[in-house]
Amino acid sequence: MAGSALRRLMAEYKQLTLNPPEGIIAGPVNEENFFEWEALIMGPENTCFEGGVFPARLAFPPDYPLNPPKMKFTCELFHPNIYPDGRVCISILHAPGDDPMGYESSAERWSPVQSVEKILLSVVSMLAEPNDESAANVDAAKTWRENRMKFEEIAAKTVRKSLGI
Amino acid sequence: MADDFQFDPELNYDEATLEQQRQIEKDIADAQPLISDRIGLDQVIKEYTAGEDQVFVRKIEEMKSTYKCVRKTRADGNCFFRAYGYACFENFLTDKADYKRFHEVCDKTKDDLITLGFPQFTIEDFHTNFMEAVTKLETIDQEELISMFNDQGLSDYLVVYLRLIVSGLLQKEHEFYANFIEGYATVKDFCGHEVEPMGKESDHIHITALTQALGVPVQVLYMDHSEGSKCNLHVFPEDSKPSITLLYRPGHYDVLYS
Repeated sequence: MAGSALRRLMAEYKQLTLNPPEGIIAGPVNEENFFEWEALIMGPENTCFEGGVFPARLAFPPDYPLNPPKMKFTCELFHPNIYPDGRVCISILHAPGDDPMGYESSAERWSPVQSVEKILLSVVSMLAEPNDESAANVDAAKTWRENRMKFEEIAAKTVRKSLGI
Repeated sequence: MADDFQFDPELNYDEATLEQQRQIEKDIADAQPLISDRIGLDQVIKEYTAGEDQVFVRKIEEMKSTYKCVRKTRADGNCFFRAYGYACFENFLTDKADYKRFHEVCDKTKDDLITLGFPQFTIEDFHTNFMEAVTKLETIDQEELISMFNDQGLSDYLVVYLRLIVSGLLQKEHEFYANFIEGYATVKDFCGHEVEPMGKESDHIHITALTQALGVPVQVLYMDHSEGSKCNLHVFPEDSKPSITLLYRPGHYDVLYS
C-alpha cells in the first residue's frame, strides 16, 4: 500500500521543488521518511499576517492520496480555523462524510486528485480569509468577529514572533 | 441503553465515531479479500440455507441453470467499480477483439478530464498507473490479474481512476445527467460527493456512465426479496450484448460467471 503513496509523495515533492507556489516551501523533514513533511508558509500580502513565516508539519497516512494528511502549525497562531494546539481545520483536509465541523456541503473536500500544493494554497487563503462559521478556536473566532483591532494586534505580535524579533 | 448514557465533555465523540468506523473497515478488510477466487453457487447458497431466507435459496437454485460461480469483492463501498473493473480486464486476457479500442478509449480519458478542469498533475498520476495496468493485459495471466487487484495500493488506484472516468463522463454530459440526480444543485457537486470519493456506493447512474464511457457493456442480475424465483436482469446499455455479468445483492456487487 505504501508503495504508491511513496511514489506519489516523491513526485509531489519534485513538482513543488520545480514549480514552487508563491509564499510556500514544503518537503520531507528528511529524505529517509517521505511521510512526514515540514512546510513554511508566508503570511499573505495585505492581511494582518503579512510578513510572517509560519512553520507547520504534515503527516501523511500510508494510503495517501486516498486519505488526506493531517496538518499542524508548530508555531503559535491565533486564528479561527486553527486549534489552540496548532491543528489546521479546513474542509480540504476532510473527506466528504467525515464531517466534524459540519462544513457547508459545497466546500471543497479532500479527494485523491487533490495534492499537497492544493492543501497549502487553501491554508494560505484560510489565513487571508478566516471562516468564523466553523471555528476550531472559538476565542479567535469571537475576537475576529467582535474586535478586529485586537485580532490584528495579536496577529502582528505572532508575525514578529515568527521572525524571531 | 439511552438512560445509561452520560455525556463526557472530555471525550471527543467525533474522533471516537471515526475510530469505530475505521475498526469496522479494518475487520472487513481482514476477513474479505478485495477480489476472491471463483466460488461455486452451491457454496453461496449455504449463506442462506442456515437462515430463514428461502427466497434467496430459491433464486440461487434457479440461477444455477444459467450461472456456475461468483467471484466476491470486498464490501467496502467500491464493490461495483472493483467487480466491473476486474471482470472487464479479465475478459481482455482471453478476448482481444475489442482490446485495441478499449486501450485507446482509456488513454483518451486523461485529456477529457484535464479539459474539464481536473488538476493535470494528479490526474496524470492515476492515469499512468491505470494505463500501465491496461497495457499489462496483453502479457499477464489470470493469477497475475488477481494479485494486481488484491494489491490494495494498485487496486485502489484503479478504482479511483474508474471513479474519475464516471465523474468525467457525467460532467461532460451534464445537461442530460442533471435529470437523474437528486439532492444536489449541480452534476459537478453530485460527482464531488457521490462519485469521486472512495467508498461511495454505486447506483444505476454510475453503471450507465461507466459502461458508456468505456464502451464495455455489463448485465446485472438483481437478487432481492421480490416474489417469484427468477432474478431481474438489467442490461447496460439496454440494446447491448454484454460479455460480463455482475450479481447484485442488496448493497453489494460480485462478478457472476456462467
